[in-house]
Amino acid sequence: MRAVALALLPLAAAVLSLFVGATSLSPAAVASALLHPHETGVLHTIVWQLRLPRVCIAATVGASLALCGAVLQGMLRNPLVDPYLTGVSAAAAAAIAIAIVAGVSAAATPGIGFVAGLAAAVLVAALARRGGGIDSNRLILAGVSLSTLFAAIVTLALVRAQSSQYASTVVAWLAGSMAGRGWPELATAAPYAALGAVLAFATAAPLNALRIGELRARSVGLNVDRAQWIMLAASSLLAASSVVLAGLVGFIGLIVPHIGRRIVGSDARVLLPACASIGAALCMVADAVCRRIVAPAELPIGVLLAFIGVPAFLYLYLRIR
Amino acid sequence: MIELRDVTLDVGGRPFLRDIEARVATGEFVALLGRNGAGKTTLLRAIAGLHRVGCGAIAIDGTPAAQLRALERAKRIAFVTGDEVFLESLLVRDVVSIGRFAHHRWWQWNAAPHDEDAVAGALAAVRLEAFAGRLFSTLSAGERQRVWIALGLAQETPILLLDEPTSHLDVGVAHEILALLRRLTRSGKTVVCALHDINEAASYADRIALLGDGALLALDSPDAVLTEPLLQRAYGIAFVQRPALLPASVLVERPHVGAQHPPNDALH
Repeated sequence: MRAVALALLPLAAAVLSLFVGATSLSPAAVASALLHPHETGVLHTIVWQLRLPRVCIAATVGASLALCGAVLQGMLRNPLVDPYLTGVSAAAAAAIAIAIVAGVSAAATPGIGFVAGLAAAVLVAALARRGGGIDSNRLILAGVSLSTLFAAIVTLALVRAQSSQYASTVVAWLAGSMAGRGWPELATAAPYAALGAVLAFATAAPLNALRIGELRARSVGLNVDRAQWIMLAASSLLAASSVVLAGLVGFIGLIVPHIGRRIVGSDARVLLPACASIGAALCMVADAVCRRIVAPAELPIGVLLAFIGVPAFLYLYLRIR
Repeated sequence: MIELRDVTLDVGGRPFLRDIEARVATGEFVALLGRNGAGKTTLLRAIAGLHRVGCGAIAIDGTPAAQLRALERAKRIAFVTGDEVFLESLLVRDVVSIGRFAHHRWWQWNAAPHDEDAVAGALAAVRLEAFAGRLFSTLSAGERQRVWIALGLAQETPILLLDEPTSHLDVGVAHEILALLRRLTRSGKTVVCALHDINEAASYADRIALLGDGALLALDSPDAVLTEPLLQRAYGIAFVQRPALLPASVLVERPHVGAQHPPNDALH
């Protein structure tokens, strides 16, 4: 029953957000455009080139961030960890900011951000390495301190770009937004997100074993070192793909795993699919609200999620205590 | 069978335990004694493959432990520890079923029918059947200790290593647990168990391994190990027997398994 509900949730969110946009379209018109993919016209372009890719991108970003958060929280056994902890997003943002200020073409910036994000993850992992594995505390320390450094680089880039039109482009990235993204961006990022998701699901049993502590997980037969590397690779791929698609979208990666655990418990075999489902649905709905609320302008999704997410998170977390 | 040949264990880069030579036969119950910090936990972890061996070699049933992969090792050795780490709200059943980890490949998501039997059997062995659906976080210290033992039992390994399984347990439950371990050795399991209570060791173990001064001081029958000079060397205090309170024979007499009245503390 819950499984069916969780599977239907993103579908419902997708349908809902397809009908929402800067232009008001009747549900019948949207449905007819969807049913006739080979027609041409304004309506067809809005649905097939603007709304559908946006919905798919929002679903990918939401599912990636939620999965990434669930994996990292389980791996580090810390419920306050979020996908940006490993420095992936901060590095991607810094690289993108530099690229924008330096005048690199807009088509190349997502790729630069993706590579920089993964490079930061490798650097953080190298700093956190101890023996053959990863030390949780060192990972958090390295991730947080490198993120601060990258944030300083972003600020520097913004200061340098103050008088130019580039500053607003950088700010748009930082605020998190899917405006202007389409099929090409999705096609570039989706394979990496999919690879990250496959790796994440492969660590379900190790994540379950880690719930009883690292030492006991080792003694029941988990190769903790190897599992941590796979989890880190999965989370880095997921975080980097979502940053490239939508910039910095906060709170989904932090809150959705908490919501998921409340609904289905902490068994990763159920929790991971549930998180992907809830994250995708939440991000699609949030994006639809962003498109509609100040139409024809758009609210950055990062801003909206922070406004809704912070109080929701505080409520959830303080109530558990 | 567990064999340790010339084993030296380092802690913090310095040799901590030196030149340990020992052999534990299949079906034997060995108690590991020594003061706090003598190296009981380190030695057990080394046998379980959770602490690196500096020099020498540990063999499990003739196979060098260093060559065993994590999954194979976990099918041969279960390591039970009471160290507390806890984050999430897990049911007792969930905790114990994690002991089945090594019996699955990572793509096998669902429990096999035998897993449920193994978990139920482990819970029954520590008399926690009624607690299967309880939240772990609501259990008392003694009940948690029994869950950790059940976790080890669910691994269904021929060797069980236990790090102070009777701490936090009242005398009655402690003896129940030790009697259970004793029964398990009769069915062919090998048990090595770090203990603080000398009387428990004397009552249930086939042999006692005594750690002190960074070495294995003795590995012999309780009669041979529990002597004043050895105990004084290991624990650094004088031991006085008080025959007026209880006959000295209580020290070495093994109660019948499942005895209603376990021996009282006779050493002070």
